[in-house]
Amino acid sequence: MDTDQLRTILWLRWRLSRNQWARAGGLGAVLTLIVVALGLVAGAGGALAGLLAGGLALPKVPPTMLLAIWDAVIVVFLFFCMMSIVSEIQRSETIDIGRMLHLPISLRQIFVINYLASHLSVSVILFVPGMFGLALGLALGKGLVMLWLLPLVIGFVFMITAWIYCLRGWLVTLMINPRRRRAIIAGVTVGFILLTQLPNLLVQLTSDRGRHRPRTVPSASSEEQDQIPSQGKRERPIPPLMLTAHKVVPFLWVGNGAMTLAAGDVRPAILATLGVFAIGTLGLGRAYRSTIRFYQGGETSKKTRPKAKTTVVVRVRDDGDGRLPGIPQEASTLARAFFRSLKRAPEVKMALGMNLMWLVMFGGMALFKRSSTTPDIAKPFMATGAVAVTFFGMSQLLFNLFGFDRGGFRTLVLLPTRREWILLGKNLALFPIAAAIGLVLLALVTIAVHPPTMVVVATILQLPAAFLLLSMMGNLLSVLVPYRVAPGSMKPTKTRTTTTFLIVLSHLLFPVTLAPIFLMPLLGLLFEWAGWASAATVNLIASAMLLAALVLCYRFSLPALGDLLERRERQVLDVVAREVE
Amino acid sequence: MFLGDVDLSRMELAIETSGLTRRFGDLTAVDGLDLHVRTGTFYGFLGPNGAGKSTTIKMLTGLLAPTSGSMRVLGEDTSDLRRAREVKRRIGVVPEDLALFDNLTGREYLTFVGRMYQLPAAMVRQRCDELLAMMTLAHEDAKLTVEYSHGMKKKLALAAALIPNPDLLFLDEPFEGVDAISSAVLRDTLRQCVRRGATVFLTSHVLEIVEKLCTDVGIIAQGRLVHQSTMDEIRDRGSLEQRFLEVVGSDHIERQKLSWLEG
Repeated sequence: MDTDQLRTILWLRWRLSRNQWARAGGLGAVLTLIVVALGLVAGAGGALAGLLAGGLALPKVPPTMLLAIWDAVIVVFLFFCMMSIVSEIQRSETIDIGRMLHLPISLRQIFVINYLASHLSVSVILFVPGMFGLALGLALGKGLVMLWLLPLVIGFVFMITAWIYCLRGWLVTLMINPRRRRAIIAGVTVGFILLTQLPNLLVQLTSDRGRHRPRTVPSASSEEQDQIPSQGKRERPIPPLMLTAHKVVPFLWVGNGAMTLAAGDVRPAILATLGVFAIGTLGLGRAYRSTIRFYQGGETSKKTRPKAKTTVVVRVRDDGDGRLPGIPQEASTLARAFFRSLKRAPEVKMALGMNLMWLVMFGGMALFKRSSTTPDIAKPFMATGAVAVTFFGMSQLLFNLFGFDRGGFRTLVLLPTRREWILLGKNLALFPIAAAIGLVLLALVTIAVHPPTMVVVATILQLPAAFLLLSMMGNLLSVLVPYRVAPGSMKPTKTRTTTTFLIVLSHLLFPVTLAPIFLMPLLGLLFEWAGWASAATVNLIASAMLLAALVLCYRFSLPALGDLLERRERQVLDVVAREVE
Repeated sequence: MFLGDVDLSRMELAIETSGLTRRFGDLTAVDGLDLHVRTGTFYGFLGPNGAGKSTTIKMLTGLLAPTSGSMRVLGEDTSDLRRAREVKRRIGVVPEDLALFDNLTGREYLTFVGRMYQLPAAMVRQRCDELLAMMTLAHEDAKLTVEYSHGMKKKLALAAALIPNPDLLFLDEPFEGVDAISSAVLRDTLRQCVRRGATVFLTSHVLEIVEKLCTDVGIIAQGRLVHQSTMDEIRDRGSLEQRFLEVVGSDHIERQKLSWLEG
C-alpha cells in the first residue's frame, strides 16, 4: 500500500465516522464530542494523577508495596479490558477487510490500522495514560532506574491488546453461525456477570463466618488488642509461592518488575519486557493469520478435521395450535409464538443475565445468612424486594416489546388481528419467565429470612400485580418510544437523542412504577402500629385487592392501547425494522 | 355504471389509487399515483431502481402511510384502520424486506400465520405440509428461519403469503433468489390463483417473467405512473422490453456513454 492508499483508507474511516455522526443528528454529534472530550480529560487526568502519585506519594514505599500497587492497577485494567470484550465483539471492525479483498491493497496494513484503532477503547484511554504516568512518576521519585518500567508497561499493554484482538478475531470466526454468534455473546455476558458477583459471594461468606464464629478463645487484654492494628500495618513478607507466581505469570510481570527495580535489580524487568513483547508479537501474528484465513476462507487449523455441517434442528411437540384457557385464540397463538421466540433468543438470555446476578446474591444470602440477623419488620419488604428485582433484568423486554422483532414486526402489521391481542400475546409470553424467576427469588428469600407464610402468599400475589403494572407501562412505551435492538445484543441501534433520553428516563422511573407493591407491606406495618390488625393479614388482603384492581385496569387499558398501536404501527415499524450498518 | 349508490365498475377493481403520494423529506418517492388494477388480473408493476415500486406496495399493504392521496384495496378505503384490518384478512404479502421471526422454525412460522388468519388447525397443518413440499422446504421445516438462506427465506415468505388463500397477492420481487424449480412451481401456483379469481400484483426486474405471466402492466418512473395497459396491447406494438425502454430507459441509454470506451 502506498501513501495515497493509506491516506484514502484513513479518509474512508473518517467519512464513515463523520456520516454516522451526521445521521445521529446535531445533538448526537455534540454528545459524541462531549464523550470524546471527557475521555481525553480522563486520560490526561489519569496520567497526571499517576505522575503525582509516583513522584510524590510512593517514593518511600517498600518494593513489596509497589508490587501490590501495580498488581491492583493491572487487575483493574484487565477487568475493564474484559468488559470491553463484551461490547467489542458486537461491533464490526474499523475497516471491514471483507470489503477490501478485491482491491489492490495490502491487507496487512489494513489489519494494522484496525489493530491500532482497537486501542480506542475505554480501558486503554482510562488506564494506559495513568500507568505511563505512574511509571514516569516513580522514575522521578525513586530514581532513573525505574524508567525501565516504562517499556515494560508499553510491552504489557501491547501484549494484552494483541491477545484481546486475537481473542476477538477467534470469537468472530466462531460466530459465523448467527445462532452460535448470539449464544457466544450471551455466554460471555453471563460469564462476566457471574465473575463480577464473585467478590460479593466471598464477602458474604467471609463476613458471615466471622460474625458467627464461636468465641472460644478468651478475649485478649486491652494491651494486646492495641497491638493488633499495629501488627497489621507492619510489612508482611510475600509468600514464596506468590513470588514464584509473579515470575511465571505474564500478567504479574509488571508488578514483579516494579518490585525488583525498586530493589535495584534491572534484569527481571528487562527480561519481562522482552517476554511481553514476544508474547504480544505472537498474539498479533496469530490474530493476523486467523483474520486473513477468516476472510479468505482458508483452513482454520492444520489439525482441524472436516466436520459435518451442523444445523440446529428444533424438535417441535406442537405447532402452537393450543388455546390458553380464557384467552382468545389469536392472543393465544401470538403468546405461544412469542414465547417460543423468546425462549430461543439469546438477547433474552442476555437480558435475563441480570437475574442470574440476583440469584447468586440471594442464593448467597440463603446459604450463608441467618434469619435471626434480619429484623422482622424488614422481612415483608425483603420478600417484596425479591419480586421487584425480578423485573430489573426484564425492563428492556417489557418496555420495548417490538424492538427484538425487528423485521418480524412487519408480520404483525400485516396480520388481520386486533392490535390489543398482539399486546396481550406479547405480555402473556413474558409472564411465565417473570413468574419463574420471581418464584425462585422469593423461595431463596424465604429460605434466607423466613418471613411468615401469610407474607409469602401476599408476595406471590404481588408478583402478577407488579407484572400487570409494568405491562401497562411497557405497552404504552413500546408504542410511543420503540427502538430497534441489534441482533445478538442488547444495544439499541441508532436511536434519536430524544428516544435515548426517554429510554434512560423510563429505566430511572422503573422503581417508581413498582412503588404500589411496596405500599402493601408498608400498609400492613402501619395497621399493626395503629393496633388495628396484624401486618401480615393486611399485607395479604391489600395485595389481593391490588391484584384485582390491576387486572381490571389492564383489561380496560388493553383496547385503548391496541387502538394506539394500530394508529402508530407504521411508525413503530419504521423504527424497529430499519436495517442499519 | 351505477346501481343505486353502488359503483359497479369500482367493485371490479382490486386496487384503485388516486393521487397517491409519499414523500421522505425532500424526496418524493411516489408522486400522485393513479393506479387501476382489475380484479382477477395478473398485474406486473415495473420500473427502474428507486422508481417507487416498493414504496407503492408498502402503502397499499399498510406498511407505510401515504403523505396524501387515497386508495381502495378490494373495494375498501384503507385509510380507515378497521377496514384496513379487514382487508388484511383477504390479502397475502411478500414484502421487499422479508418479514420473518428469526427464532421460529419454518413450520412454526407458517402455522403462526395460518392461525392468525383464523384458519382451522387441521387446515393449517394440511396447507403447511403442501406449501413446504411445494417450496422444497419440507426437509428444512425444523430449522430456525435465522438459519435459512435468502432464497429459502423468500420461499417461506411466499408460502406464508399463500397460506390464507388470499383474494389479492402483493409480491415484491417474488422470484429474486428463488431457484429455477421452485420458481417454475411458483409461477404455476400463481397462475392457478388468478384462474380461481384472485388478483396478483407483483413487481419484478425480470421483464421476461412479467411478459410470460402478467395480463396487465403498469410502469412507474420517478414516482409517476408513465404507462398502464394490458399485455396484449403491448404485444401488439412490440415487446415489453421495447415499451419499457421507450417510457423510462432510452434517454438513460443515450446519455450514459463512457468516454474512455468510446472510439
